[in-house]
Amino acid sequence: MNPAPSISRALRARQLNNYICNSCTQQIRRQRRSYVSTSSTLKSPEIYDVVCVGGGPAGLSLLAALRSSAATSGLKVALIESQDLSRTRTWDLPEGQFSNRCSSLTPASVKFLEGIGAWQKLRKERVQEYEEMQVWDGVTGARIGFEWMEPSNGTGEGKGRTIAYMNENANLTRGLLERIDELGGVDIYDGQKVEGIELGEESEDLDLRSWPVVELADGRRMAARLLVGADGQNSPVRTFAGIDSRGWDYNRHGVVATLLLDGQANRKTAYQRFLPTGPVAMLPMPGAFATLVWSTTPALAAKLKSLSPIDFMALVNAAFRLSTTDLAYMHTLEAGQVDELIWREKHTPFDVQHVPARVIGVQEGSVASFPLKFRHADTYIGERVALVGDAAHTIHPLAGQGLNQGQGDVESLVRNIVYSVTHGMDIGAQMSLETYVADRYTKNHILLGVCDKFHKLYSVESGPVVGLRSLGLRAVDAMTPVKQFFMRQAAGQGM
Amino acid sequence: MASPLRPTSIRNLNLLLRSAPRFVQNQFRAHSTSTSSVNPTEVSHFNALASTWWDPHGSSRLLHLMNPLRHDFIKTCHASQPDPAPSANLRFLDIGCGGGIFAESAARLPSTGSVTAIDPSPEVLAVAKAHAKKDPLLGGKLSYQNTSIEGLPLPKSADDQYDVLSLFEVIEHITHPANFLDACTPFVKPGGWIVMSTMARTWTSWLTTKVVAEDIIGIVPKGTHDWEKYINQEELREYFLKQRGWNSPQVMGVVYVPGLGWQKVPRSEKLGNYFFGIRKDVV
Repeated sequence: MNPAPSISRALRARQLNNYICNSCTQQIRRQRRSYVSTSSTLKSPEIYDVVCVGGGPAGLSLLAALRSSAATSGLKVALIESQDLSRTRTWDLPEGQFSNRCSSLTPASVKFLEGIGAWQKLRKERVQEYEEMQVWDGVTGARIGFEWMEPSNGTGEGKGRTIAYMNENANLTRGLLERIDELGGVDIYDGQKVEGIELGEESEDLDLRSWPVVELADGRRMAARLLVGADGQNSPVRTFAGIDSRGWDYNRHGVVATLLLDGQANRKTAYQRFLPTGPVAMLPMPGAFATLVWSTTPALAAKLKSLSPIDFMALVNAAFRLSTTDLAYMHTLEAGQVDELIWREKHTPFDVQHVPARVIGVQEGSVASFPLKFRHADTYIGERVALVGDAAHTIHPLAGQGLNQGQGDVESLVRNIVYSVTHGMDIGAQMSLETYVADRYTKNHILLGVCDKFHKLYSVESGPVVGLRSLGLRAVDAMTPVKQFFMRQAAGQGM
Repeated sequence: MASPLRPTSIRNLNLLLRSAPRFVQNQFRAHSTSTSSVNPTEVSHFNALASTWWDPHGSSRLLHLMNPLRHDFIKTCHASQPDPAPSANLRFLDIGCGGGIFAESAARLPSTGSVTAIDPSPEVLAVAKAHAKKDPLLGGKLSYQNTSIEGLPLPKSADDQYDVLSLFEVIEHITHPANFLDACTPFVKPGGWIVMSTMARTWTSWLTTKVVAEDIIGIVPKGTHDWEKYINQEELREYFLKQRGWNSPQVMGVVYVPGLGWQKVPRSEKLGNYFFGIRKDVV
């Protein structure tokens, strides 16, 4: 049933085979086995119902949800996190400074976080909701404006409805941790690396051969009825379970920065322009601040990071205003983008109503970049293993769905665990976990695929595709029901 | 889920039609003089299936999928009582426990005090015991015995009796169900319940459980069911109410829908799979 033991055994053998001849390998394997069994008699693993590896947004909301639901509050749960969580607990930035790692939270994610009592713990003065999106094609200028329409048929889709909430990831993890500390009952092992995961052993009265046993750096051993991998893109839990994750690198980097804008808009809007190198997005933060996510080639990302603040700001302003030809030229300059922009702007017509306010400041040290990837695990479950968040999938950030998908996974997995507990099922048995995959896999796959196709569609600079995609955007813009559909997807209500 | 049609199924259909439903008399009219409810052919059939009992894609998959509904049905029965059902230390007796699908799940519930689970097949019971060892939660609460109901010592007091006596997918494998139920009665506490699931003896159940499930799709191992032993819920109702000492019969029809799993369908108890529960009088 479970491929994990044979795979880990094969892996172990293969690693050894690189160095030692076969007969020695066998001897070593024998020695290893006897070593393991003596160590286990010395220190048998502590038994847990849920061991969650990874204390990011997905892992923390899983624990907060399990502890806040009556049905699952009796489970014995543990968290393993390699970072020191006291840094998360004491996270604080002065007013007017924002972390460059921000995410757009959909109303669906916020509703879930409210339900588990975590949203209430966030610093709301640092969260910015927005009601409008402006998305346009950098090559043709075809535009689509997303804003909730006045209800025409009493469906309740009124004006002023929130599309999403911009929030610093650290604000979320801090709030989740505060909620977990308030609820109590979680054994937290932070600042601890997972040394290894192996299957348990059989003793006189207990057979843990299907139970993953996690070993920590300090020698502690924990047997998990259900081991949850919330441990990111290179998930050790996924590797242990022998689940492949497939995909590709986009050969793009996401450049992020915290920006100060010229004047505070009274209507908060998210802006995204599709450039041939990738989408550039400016998302509203409280006050006159905004956060930048600019997906571009690794070379251009390196260039952006090397510019002086004043030239960096000029290039960001140009990215929302100038033609792609002008922009490409400005990328080639060593410096002096600021003068170039002043001159070129005079000759480029653009609608001031539809571009973000001018950037007049960039927070020191906030310009950073990360590589963009597409990954999807073959499945999210194995015997006594479940994957959530980035361990299961990595998405292009163009729709701001990555963190929300993780929250959706957690909500679904917790619903699954509650059902198992109330029906006497073993929460770790693969059979009990089946409904979790059935619920999430296709939904995530569609969203991953749509974002991937958008990226590819807008990477094309010329030819018939460019005309067609503009036609598509204009048609969508003209059709309110279609637009509302896209907005519902963005708001996490359609999935 | 769906496996491809097997090429032999058309040939088998011909054979099967010869055994199609004729008039079959109510099983309850036949009483026997033998001392055990257990049919040796049935025991050897399930011995052969033992190894695949806990395989999530094996022959017992449908039973695994049905198991949560058994708990829902017990909750429905308890909710129907005028007095509140006990919320802690419930005692279960699971007869014909097989690999322990229901017995394990009952033992895991926090409201359960103990589960005694019995089965006449030693191979199946060995699988059940080996599987229960995998869960440290079950150790103190679940005990297996290789016996039939006739082999179990009669309770001496109400403390030895059980709050829930369960017969899931059992009664259709018993040759003389009336004798068998007579033997079960003394084990139920006053105010306790007998809960069971089985299949109605109808043309539909013959078509779905014999022709489709066993012969065409092969989702259920061949020879698992003997349609002539199926019992209709009216027959069960009649048996218990005639015995006296029983009240509030409950029934819930369920249908397996590929892709959706088991669904509760009102009045489907007349077609195929159904749950039946009845409460022993308090005094």
